[in-house]
Amino acid sequence: MASNDIILQIDGLTKVYRSLFAPVGVKAVDELNLSVRRGETYSIVGPNGSGKTTTLKIILGLIFPTSGATTIFGKSIADLGVRERIGFLPEDAYLYDVFNGEELLDFYAGLFGYPKQRRAELVDELLSLVGMQANRRVRFRECSKGMRQRLALAQALVNDPELLILDEPTSGLDPSGRHQMTRLILELKRRGKTILLCSHFLAEVEEVCDRVGIMYRGRLVGEGTLTELAGDPTEIVITTDGLTADGAKDVTAHSAVLSVDDGVVRMGHQSGEELWAVLDRVRQAGGRVVEVTRPRPSLQDVFVRAIGQDTTEEIQ
Amino acid sequence: MTPLLAFVTPKLAALIGAAIVVVVLAMTAGLWVPGAEHTGGSIWRIAKITVAEARRRRVTQAVVVLVLLILLSMTFFSYLNPREQARMLISGGLSAITVFGILLAIFVAAFLIPQELESRTVYAILSKPVRRFEFVLGKYLGALIVLAAILTVMTAVLVAVLLIEDWFVPDRADSVFDPNIGNVVFAAVMSYFAVALLAAYIVLISTVSSTAMTVITSFIIWVIGSLQSRIRDLALEATSVFQKLFFTVFYLVMPPLENFDFRHEVSNFMPLSYYSGVYAAGKGIVYILVVLLFASIFFNDRQV
Repeated sequence: MASNDIILQIDGLTKVYRSLFAPVGVKAVDELNLSVRRGETYSIVGPNGSGKTTTLKIILGLIFPTSGATTIFGKSIADLGVRERIGFLPEDAYLYDVFNGEELLDFYAGLFGYPKQRRAELVDELLSLVGMQANRRVRFRECSKGMRQRLALAQALVNDPELLILDEPTSGLDPSGRHQMTRLILELKRRGKTILLCSHFLAEVEEVCDRVGIMYRGRLVGEGTLTELAGDPTEIVITTDGLTADGAKDVTAHSAVLSVDDGVVRMGHQSGEELWAVLDRVRQAGGRVVEVTRPRPSLQDVFVRAIGQDTTEEIQ
Repeated sequence: MTPLLAFVTPKLAALIGAAIVVVVLAMTAGLWVPGAEHTGGSIWRIAKITVAEARRRRVTQAVVVLVLLILLSMTFFSYLNPREQARMLISGGLSAITVFGILLAIFVAAFLIPQELESRTVYAILSKPVRRFEFVLGKYLGALIVLAAILTVMTAVLVAVLLIEDWFVPDRADSVFDPNIGNVVFAAVMSYFAVALLAAYIVLISTVSSTAMTVITSFIIWVIGSLQSRIRDLALEATSVFQKLFFTVFYLVMPPLENFDFRHEVSNFMPLSYYSGVYAAGKGIVYILVVLLFASIFFNDRQV
């Protein structure tokens, strides 16, 4: 892959938080290597405390790494030219709460040196994009969580960035707000933006991301496309109707069948002959085959496989 | 003056301060020089939003109303003779401006940066093409404008009160109500320099500590800065070299707030040395520049 296709490169990134009185520091990020390619949507997923936000803050130059290096467009984040090409949506939308959307976007656009006329155009464009035109004069403190998040996304887009960094963009949103935000991210993806996304909402990640990095205890424990991470389907699921308890016992007796539960037969991924044999057995037992599927493991399954069961309750 | 302090004349202190500014500027050129054309705009934008934010905060509005009420309430007191009345009004008015100016400086400046960090509004700014020193200077400039506006209003009200009293209080053969407006304005302007200087120190502290610690330390610095002549005396009277050195350094490092206090001279109708005022202002500006430079350097290394 050509080096100019890599927008963001992280090499051996380590961050240890030390306190004055603790003899040993806390390792938040541990030898992290990661790269984001031009035009892709990459998501870092992981439970709370896995080092996702710390990684983003290092990328943005808000905190400094203990060791390792991060480059964006081949340069350090300290380069102002780099920051002119990125946009950042912080978690929980932290913007000045005494100003309205129009004033906030005008301020952030001003930080890029845009003249007044251009700022006014930008404010209109962005408020339309995020669906806030009607509420442009509502103060940030009076906005709903969803409106705040949309305004925060608008401020991240004020410079039409090539790389968009989103930290938990749907955090705290209701299902409708989450749907709207996901739709916006998909629209930005369609417009060719490179997106780095941190989230623990796996459903949203599955919907929008091209590649996923699974972070756990500061380390990248899995990375790839969803297909690569999930691997080939390992099970066949046969949904049946009319299978009696005795019939279910007959079907379970077949060596390829893993389980029969409430009419759903799960069998290991075997040869076609084995599948036909199980289907025959279902029919012989008085059941009717409704559907045969080879489900790909969900991101949730991949995640559990990567980090174990103990932290899955933190992931939704 | 003892040999140790003899060479530390105010002029030399100012020159040393200026030299430090030049040296540190040169040492940190990489931090300051590239992209300088963008710098002014960012500082001004951050200053403007700081002013706009302060204007909308109810606490600022409440403090201004309170001070104005105090100034206006002074007109209700009556005194033995017109001169005494003028003296009390000028003294009380200038004291109110100075004390409330300092308190406002503490409460405006102490929250400037820590509040941005605690509310995390700083993330959206520092991820834009804004250097950290631009952020610090922008916040400070914003605070200066807010404080200037408030002190101007307070001074205008005091001047108005004095002029109205001058109209109403009948002069007597042995005692006249002399509002001494020019000197009152001069003293108020000097109070503003004290407020600006203290605000710079507060910004410096706030780049390395929390809001609560900043507020506490600010009060301590205010007290020490107002007792500079006493520290100088301690340095002069010190018997050991270590003590002398300690108090001398302390004297030079703390803000010379006393230099800006002309309340006594103005309210007692004493002749004023405008030169010492201008000199104090110049020295104050050098102090402010040095302090802001250190604030920028400290904030540049701060993890936010």
